[in-house]
Amino acid sequence: MKKAAASLFVLLLLLPLRAKAAEIPALRGYVNDYGNMISPAVEAGLAEKLKKFEETDSTQLVVLTVPSLEGDPVEEYSIRVAERWKIGQRGKDNGILFLVSREDRKLRIEVGRGLEGKLTDLTAGRILDLVVKPKFKAGDFDGGFTAGVSALIDATRGEFTADRKAPSVPFAAGMPPWLALLILLGFFVLFAAMARSRSRHTETGRNGLRRRGARRDGTWGGYPPFPGGDYGGGWSTRGDGDSGSDSGGGFSGGGGGFGGGGASGDW
Amino acid sequence: MVKSFRFMLLGMVLWLVAGCGYNVMQQNEEAVKAAWGDVEAAYQRRNDLIPNLVETVKAYAKFEQDTLTQVIEARAKVGTVQMSKDVLDDPKKFEAFQAAQNSMSSALSRLLVVVEKYPELKANQSFMDLQHQLEGTENRINVARSRYNKAVETFNGSIRTFPNNLTNRFLLQLKLKEPFKAAPGAEKAPQVKF
Repeated sequence: MKKAAASLFVLLLLLPLRAKAAEIPALRGYVNDYGNMISPAVEAGLAEKLKKFEETDSTQLVVLTVPSLEGDPVEEYSIRVAERWKIGQRGKDNGILFLVSREDRKLRIEVGRGLEGKLTDLTAGRILDLVVKPKFKAGDFDGGFTAGVSALIDATRGEFTADRKAPSVPFAAGMPPWLALLILLGFFVLFAAMARSRSRHTETGRNGLRRRGARRDGTWGGYPPFPGGDYGGGWSTRGDGDSGSDSGGGFSGGGGGFGGGGASGDW
Repeated sequence: MVKSFRFMLLGMVLWLVAGCGYNVMQQNEEAVKAAWGDVEAAYQRRNDLIPNLVETVKAYAKFEQDTLTQVIEARAKVGTVQMSKDVLDDPKKFEAFQAAQNSMSSALSRLLVVVEKYPELKANQSFMDLQHQLEGTENRINVARSRYNKAVETFNGSIRTFPNNLTNRFLLQLKLKEPFKAAPGAEKAPQVKF
């Protein structure tokens, strides 16, 4: 009891700390300029470049700028963002987060596990030291981001290549709609058969034929969400919606993992 | 009537087996072991970096023999601590492992503070490279440790709550795992003395 009270107390102590930690913004696209450091033209160019890079190499590089870290160490903040956003493909773990905090003048490259071989801490550190920082020191943020992103792309090009079928597309979206419908129909028939055989099982011995017939009617009518075509339609739209969000409209990470690799610095 | 009752009984037994937490506890223990593997790898990585660091610093900071010796000694001590899977189940071994790594950490941070006195060393590209690698490694260690602690928390919670605690007492007999604690004195930054 005493222990429980003590742990509750500790929890209460931690609570304001938790609330104070800097917020993780929403993942909007390849360039998330929450710190207003990049001019719109350059931002569009970078986003285009990163999109092309992901299409060819499947490596997902995302830029994030924030106004301030609100006292968090840059490493801690960036791993939290990386864990939340899950940049990179699942299984390949090929995500990179390029984080810049305007007011703290801190930057960090967070490297996904799958890229640690090519983009070592050392390479990431050199990109920060030799490519990004000099430009940032001169006040040329646009130039710094452009050069940094180019260097990161050069360092990781060729490590992964895109599969034609993105692994994040769910099972149903990969196949033609008629096949999905066929499989569904198969399940449907199976269910119906099972329900029928069970009803026969329980009804035998009482007053056979008539009851069985009635029960069969009941089964067919008894599953309102199943009237064939409608349900199939539901499946295919869900598949379409997901693959749509993958290729165009929305933007999301693919489930890549991070282990704390990368480098940080300040300017 | 009897038949449906029998079905119900079967269902209850199945529910009990699935609900006793047997599988969950096993999975949680595997998660702890996996997280521990990452911790070990991160520490090993740091140990591998140290000879290089010492060599580079030696070339510039000849008057810091003491600090360098401390780093080398700490590294040797880390090497003698047996790393094995039963570290996880044995609080004493875990303590020893943690103590060795902590003394390594503090020796290293003293070295990095001393280095501040040597501007040529700080400007040296190979030292800057090493510093990046060292920082990266320390960060990996932090990440691996906090993930390990999270896995331990889940695991310890799962073997202590009802009904898993009964399953554990009678079937699995898994022990509580040790989480990492903050190093004593870690709250104060190392002092710079000129």
